[in-house]
Amino acid sequence: MAEPVSRHPATLRGRLRFARTLRRLAVRLAGAVFVLWAVATITFFAVRLIPGDPALAVLGGPGSQASPEALAAVSAAYGFDQSVFVQYLAQLGRLATGDLGRSYALNMEVGPLVLSQLGGTVLLAVLALILAWVLALALATWSTRGGTVAARVGSGLEIIAAALPHFWLATSLIVVFSIWIGVLPPISTGGVAGLVLPVLTLGIPLAGFLGQVMRESLLLALESPFVLSARARGESERGVRWIHAFRHASLPAISLSGWAFGSLISGAVVVETIFARPGLGRTLLNAVTLRDVPVVIGVVMVVAVAYIVMTLATDALSRVVDPRLRLS
Amino acid sequence: MPTPIRRVVATTAGIVALGLLITGCTATGSNEPVGEPRNGGTLTYASGDAEPSCLDPHVGGNFPQALISAQYLESLVSRNVDGQIIPWLAKSWEPSDNGLTWDFTLRDDVTFTDGTQFDAAAVQANIAHLQDPTTLSSTGYLALGKVTGTEAVSPTVVRFTLSEPDSALLESLSQPWLAIESPAALKRSQDENCAAPVGTGPFVVKSWVKQNAVTLVRNDDYDSPPTDAAHTGPAYLDTIIWRFIPDSASRYAALQSGEVDVIDNAQPDTIVQAAQSDSIEHLDSPRPGASNRIEFNSSKAPFNDVRVREAFIRSANVDDAVSSLFQGTATRSYSALSSVEATAVSDPSIFKFDPAAARKLLDDAGWNETDSDGYRIKDGVRLSVEFPVSTNQSIPAEQSVFEQIQATAKDTGFEVKLAPLDLSSWYAALASNDYDAVSAPYTKVGPDVLRILYHSDSIVPAPSGYFANLAQVNDPAVDELLTEAARTADADTRTSLYAEVQNRILDGFYILPLYDQQNHYLVRSDVVGMRTLPTVAVPTLYDAWLNR
Repeated sequence: MAEPVSRHPATLRGRLRFARTLRRLAVRLAGAVFVLWAVATITFFAVRLIPGDPALAVLGGPGSQASPEALAAVSAAYGFDQSVFVQYLAQLGRLATGDLGRSYALNMEVGPLVLSQLGGTVLLAVLALILAWVLALALATWSTRGGTVAARVGSGLEIIAAALPHFWLATSLIVVFSIWIGVLPPISTGGVAGLVLPVLTLGIPLAGFLGQVMRESLLLALESPFVLSARARGESERGVRWIHAFRHASLPAISLSGWAFGSLISGAVVVETIFARPGLGRTLLNAVTLRDVPVVIGVVMVVAVAYIVMTLATDALSRVVDPRLRLS
Repeated sequence: MPTPIRRVVATTAGIVALGLLITGCTATGSNEPVGEPRNGGTLTYASGDAEPSCLDPHVGGNFPQALISAQYLESLVSRNVDGQIIPWLAKSWEPSDNGLTWDFTLRDDVTFTDGTQFDAAAVQANIAHLQDPTTLSSTGYLALGKVTGTEAVSPTVVRFTLSEPDSALLESLSQPWLAIESPAALKRSQDENCAAPVGTGPFVVKSWVKQNAVTLVRNDDYDSPPTDAAHTGPAYLDTIIWRFIPDSASRYAALQSGEVDVIDNAQPDTIVQAAQSDSIEHLDSPRPGASNRIEFNSSKAPFNDVRVREAFIRSANVDDAVSSLFQGTATRSYSALSSVEATAVSDPSIFKFDPAAARKLLDDAGWNETDSDGYRIKDGVRLSVEFPVSTNQSIPAEQSVFEQIQATAKDTGFEVKLAPLDLSSWYAALASNDYDAVSAPYTKVGPDVLRILYHSDSIVPAPSGYFANLAQVNDPAVDELLTEAARTADADTRTSLYAEVQNRILDGFYILPLYDQQNHYLVRSDVVGMRTLPTVAVPTLYDAWLNR
């Protein structure tokens, strides 16, 4: 049978491009599945290999004086009487069908539990990321225009901000804004006011990181030949900075944002605990303490998915911002 | 909970607190006389304890459940501040002469908040629920160990049948873990019952948003308070918002800023700060049962030698450590039991700090050589004390006390190895007998806690690996006294038997008491009338009202 495509070279090229895209997607997908499998496996064994009996999580926590009958009933119901490897396979089998299982300690399914806690953490992370970008951008712009003093102050602030530990920043912000000035609640109250301090706590150190990266690449860009030629063309200073240099300088910060989003979720463990906010971080902390394996795996899987999605999104965004990536 | 974070936060808060003192933080308080109780309003309670996974304290049975369930569930009996058992849902009770049956006469005017009647059948259903393995009760199940059955003699009289006399039965039944719930509600699935248990209490569980708050509303038909309550009829408050704020510094900040009205688990640094404030009151309510004490594992070297146990006690400067690190918020204990237990025996003379005597005792016990690091050795083995510390149960101040004891014991030649562990790892270390010293709290109403902690039966681990006799006291005389006391109905005989047991334990240097189980509440001054139930020292907001 004749190959119809051979008579239509244009379609062939289109098909080839389509096949290439498909292949790239397939590779990405396989990579994602591999990452999720690895995350589930490592988490499962990490939690099960540290001391502590998960059956006790079901029976009211470690130190439970559960009756022999109760312990036997729980072991049979949850399969704790089987070998760890069999339990691992069972867990993996459930995950493969999209079933995150049932929490040992919380009397509920992990899926709805994680979903109910996801929103709060994602909101916190997204707002913190936006704040970090705004702060970093402002600082980088100001410190690259204001001469040597501004440059020194800017880089100093960035280093300090990047080095601030979340727990210290959180406590200090509470003391200043809740106790001294008394304008913001020290704990989550459900409203917008309760979000301010947690977002500042997460956003400020990240702004330090992003600012450092942005300022350096901005300086590099401002010294590069394309800026010189733009200036030679008579482009205004604002145009040079915003259209040419900034676009160039934002690239490393965009790639860093994928990683930053993940770090914000881990930072949420501290921030949610201190500000008594519901969310994934606090859920994870409690689950690890209780050896609540399904919840730990559920939360870690969701975070892994968030990482993967963010990496894909920053990749795509980089392609939009940087035409050179689209050509290759 | 990762306590390193908590500890650092607490330390940071301490430093910041100092700053606050210097800059002169003034609180606006009023010393106006308190008038007549006012109805209405919402009180926000912030608990530092873990959020319960089930609001029905029959399931499991821990302190966080007791804290909240005391607002919506009630027990058959209660206890007053003098330690006497008083009527609650049961009006009176009568044991048989042989002590093997108890008849409880119940109030006939109480209904559950789902509208069903409280009666003998309801009590039967609750005992059956607690003893049903699928309920997964541990605290309530253990407390009913001697109860073999119940019988409804009439709708208002329920009879308990026991396998042997139990002098602790009333104390056991007074605990929140054995509270009475609506049988109709208990018939629902466990998930439903955990989310909103139904009792006879002054408040009703309205909603529970996990990891955020439980909302309780007033039971308008309520009129069954225990006889030591300050008023009768419904509670004053409309609503209670019960929040969970695990971090001590944020919890206190929320109280200061007025976001919350009451906090529990107040730490020494915040109690001291609150003392400066006119708008915050302090409620110190030690838990019943055992004191907080270090127990020496007498089953293996080095503490299988009574001289080494005594040497450790002589070399531990506990008084100075407690007074400096708890900043005057904790009183030193010299008893195996909490100071709220009338039967507690306290003997300071046994616990004198005397390093010279300690060295002499170690010499006599054969630990008479010293290695290059200054630790005693015997047959080439260093005098080491493995001391696993539960970072969930030992607050930062207590962990610092252990560090002080470590430092003073070093001067005598003990190498104390403190190992901070999370709760699961800590229990695992105990279950595998990998400890020489340990501090484990135990809350129970009445001196029967001594049987749980020091009877040789308690050395046998439960299937979970848990065992309560961590000093591993294995003394037939102690066993006999404890068994006898548990069977003795006469109060005076019982008290003297428990005194004898305590003296044997103290004289045997099995334990080093530190202080009562700390249980501090901080309350905003415009919250009037909150008290703790003298049973297990959990707050009751039934008498509380808002003076604002």
